[in-house]
Amino acid sequence: MGKFEESTGFNIITNYLSEKGQKPFSFQLQAWKRFSNGYSGVVVAPTGFGKTYSIFLAVIIDFLNNPKDYPKGLKLLWISPLRSLAKDLAKAMKLVIDEVGLDWEVQVRNGDTPQKIRRQQERLMPDILLTTPETMHLLFSQKNNSRWFKSLKCVAVDEWHELLGNKRGVLTELALARLHTIASKLRVWGITATIGNLEQAAEVLIPNSTTKSTMIVAKEKKKIKVISLLPDEVGVLPWAGHIGSAMSSKIIPIILENKTTLIFTNTRGQSELWYQIILKEAPELAGLLAIHHGSIDLKLRHWIEDNISEGNLKAVICTSSLDLGVDFKPVDCIVQIGSAKGVARFMQRAGRSGHSPYETSKIYFVPTHSLELIEVAALKEAMKQQKVEAREPLVMCYDIVIQFLVTLAVGEGFTKDSAYHILKSSHAFSYLTENEFNWALNFITKGGTTLKAYEEFHKVIKDDNNIYKIKNRRLSMLHRMNVGVIVSDAMLKVKYISGGYLGMIEEYFISKLKSNSSFVLAGKVLEKLHVKDMTVYVKRSKAKKAITPSWVGGRIPLTSYLSHFLRIKLAEALSPGIRERELKFLHPLISTQNMRSHVPKDNEFLVELITTKEGYHVFMYPFEGRLVHEVIAALIAYRLSKIKPLTFTIAMNDYGFELLSDQPIPLDENNIHDLLSKNNLMDDVIGSINASEMASRKFRDIAVISGLVVQTRPGSRQNNKSLQSSSGLIFRVLEDYEPENLLLKQAYTEVFNQQLEEVRLQAAFERISKSKIVVKHSEVFTPLSFPIKVDSLRNSLSNESLDKRIERITQQTLKALFE
Amino acid sequence: MNIATKTIVRKNQELELTNQRALFWRDRNMLVLSDLHIGKTAHFRKSGIPISSEVLENDLMRLDQLIEHFNPSKLMVVGDLFHAELNQDVLRFRQWARENDKIQIILIKGNHDRQSFEFYEGLNIKVFSETLTISPFTFSHFSRHFPDDVFSITGHTHPGITIKGKGKQRIKLPCFQITEQQLVLPAFSLFTGLNHKNPPEGCIHIAFTDSRIFEV
Repeated sequence: MGKFEESTGFNIITNYLSEKGQKPFSFQLQAWKRFSNGYSGVVVAPTGFGKTYSIFLAVIIDFLNNPKDYPKGLKLLWISPLRSLAKDLAKAMKLVIDEVGLDWEVQVRNGDTPQKIRRQQERLMPDILLTTPETMHLLFSQKNNSRWFKSLKCVAVDEWHELLGNKRGVLTELALARLHTIASKLRVWGITATIGNLEQAAEVLIPNSTTKSTMIVAKEKKKIKVISLLPDEVGVLPWAGHIGSAMSSKIIPIILENKTTLIFTNTRGQSELWYQIILKEAPELAGLLAIHHGSIDLKLRHWIEDNISEGNLKAVICTSSLDLGVDFKPVDCIVQIGSAKGVARFMQRAGRSGHSPYETSKIYFVPTHSLELIEVAALKEAMKQQKVEAREPLVMCYDIVIQFLVTLAVGEGFTKDSAYHILKSSHAFSYLTENEFNWALNFITKGGTTLKAYEEFHKVIKDDNNIYKIKNRRLSMLHRMNVGVIVSDAMLKVKYISGGYLGMIEEYFISKLKSNSSFVLAGKVLEKLHVKDMTVYVKRSKAKKAITPSWVGGRIPLTSYLSHFLRIKLAEALSPGIRERELKFLHPLISTQNMRSHVPKDNEFLVELITTKEGYHVFMYPFEGRLVHEVIAALIAYRLSKIKPLTFTIAMNDYGFELLSDQPIPLDENNIHDLLSKNNLMDDVIGSINASEMASRKFRDIAVISGLVVQTRPGSRQNNKSLQSSSGLIFRVLEDYEPENLLLKQAYTEVFNQQLEEVRLQAAFERISKSKIVVKHSEVFTPLSFPIKVDSLRNSLSNESLDKRIERITQQTLKALFE
Repeated sequence: MNIATKTIVRKNQELELTNQRALFWRDRNMLVLSDLHIGKTAHFRKSGIPISSEVLENDLMRLDQLIEHFNPSKLMVVGDLFHAELNQDVLRFRQWARENDKIQIILIKGNHDRQSFEFYEGLNIKVFSETLTISPFTFSHFSRHFPDDVFSITGHTHPGITIKGKGKQRIKLPCFQITEQQLVLPAFSLFTGLNHKNPPEGCIHIAFTDSRIFEV
């Protein structure tokens, strides 16, 4: 065979593209060539530049050049984190295939695929199958499934950066590890956006050192324009929390100016709130404005997505639910309300507008309190320096080991050696010891360490040929229902009593709501009637006032990258550069902070002691995100209580935290260094928190993933009621009777890695120990402390009284300023 | 094991509530409890969820100690004595019942007690399907609308209460719920969850720990 560029396949494809007026990007050419030389690899490219073609066409070209290497059956497996992506991708692929004149079948398989199609696929797999990590494992749980993958040549993992840092990534790793044992010479290609640890991302996806692998980075860059919407005036204090009507008058002209605008909010609750605000302000947008978040009915979401594509909507208020997904052509403008919490997420959202390769993405930033404007300055700086967060791959998730082994046992069964080999060959379990593996085997065959205590335990059995299998049909069915690692909070379906499905709502929220009271979902005001079969029945409500549900878990903490730039920009804000529009705008506020207290430089750490009628406050500003602040706050409270027994109320946001006591707090310039010392850090942290309680909460996901807790599907009648138990209960039982259980150990590890963010915490104290600590006293709230105060008030006050309270505090500060 | 008690008076009768999830009615020499869920751990095990059978042993041990302490002649179970099907745990309980054949076991059927009446007779358990009145109290698994002058003792809900401390401290404890007309028993088995939603209107909560019992 001659040069790749002279090959038949290459010419057919490039001719085909040029007929359409397209020319391949150089990264695509590179990928095609490497693929034909047998490489695996990772493609790094911004959205809109034809990442899909770089792999999909590589396979087509290779096939055209070597048709004899491609037997009948599945050739390309396309794994993507999102279902909604698949449908359109399949359509696009099918179009190319038809126009090139091939007879390949392209099909989708995921949770939405009808039974009939699935059965068809099981008889004869298409040439290209688009699927999700979960569906891969479900396929593994079918009888005789290896035969489907024998002909496989390539697995493409799309949006790999979205999978890498979570347990779905581990599922993907295991799927690949198993496929390698079925299909020889399998090529694996990842497609990812820019992240901070690309090398590692490639290693996790292609851990096998015997495979030739490569990384191809597109030179093309997406241009992003960031515009912050400034309020009319900057007050003496940054107003915090809800500033809806003031800013909505600025958002509406933007909606009207552009074709289609996506408005990102950080929580589902906020999106519902903003939907109401904008509709009230601009009633003419009714019918042109939609709301999209994870709790809205899937069909309704699909309908909204279709209507965005067709350009029928002016604006859609959404959450991270639209972070990914199909590229919507008409979208030419993005609005971000409140902090995006991270550089990567912000860039990704911006990239959802202006899709064709050389268009500029446009994103407006709407602060929810004015200090957030510093974040815009920080984001711009980070983007200039191309600093994007890393996504740390997870390792040693024993819950997934359990689930995977049971999946294999339900499917074809496994031998001890083969299963161990598959696990060890993945990045996530490369350090799995034989002891740990044996523990897992024991757990699924005998239940636990002591045989006697687990009479009648029934799950996986070893048959006469030493094959581990599940033979009981009911157990197989139970397991298939639980495959996957996305554990949702207990959710209920919301349905009109007259029929028609609206979406999902957390059981916790609904259980606190009395019958006949009103709440908001999908932009509609609804009255709760009754709850039955995991379904809330509602009717339209005429109530003017309704509660917006606060879905748990919407609050993502600030990433450490962003907080690094935030500290720098805050220090610069006292003398802003000529181009720093946001910092210039904030200048009066920062001056107030400087006058009343202090603006910390990058190498300083600010502590404010504020005494008000309410009591004695300590504010500290580590800028490390709310999770880390929760830990530091508890730690400082613990160290203070050793000096003097005190009780504190704790509040925090992404910038800092507050300790409030009704008695004077024994903290001053002399002991502050001890209080913030990095010595005995983790010991004190463990002393200050209830680790067992936190681990018990972390155990929830682990219990579901490992099959210890049976999840009930919302709206499902088959609810396995007699197997219902809470993960907390199982956690307690295991702690009492099986303290050596590795799933418990995992829960504690997850607390340290994810909840306490041990690494970040250590780094923060390292930094603080090198900083100059500045202690300031004040009689009124300072601009930095104010948003934290308001956040803590919000939990205890209604919206109206909150507004009044904010007004009063602002007046007090004003007065103090002019005294 | 430590048995702490707190006595309340209803209908001129003293009821001794214990921190071991049961109450003793001294006048009738009767130990009253609810929601044992015998067979639950085995049911879980059979479904591939490994819950140690020591959980049941522990429940039975507590029951033994209560019996030793109060020396009752009757054991009243206000429903959900059994959790599901006949399994090893149930057989274990049958053995326990034979060893304690001097005690008359009375069961008001709960929603989980789906065994046939013959089965209970084999165990020497007196079974009532809805309610039983032993003056001045009426025993029932579920809360029902009784006439105003009835005081009912019920189970089923596994009552619990969240106690909030200063800061963000909170702790969930099992409890008795008591109103003018009703007493709701905590679930006896330790392998049961707590339900702190929708307590009866105007009830007081008597919560307990391993060492204490107290009104919240």
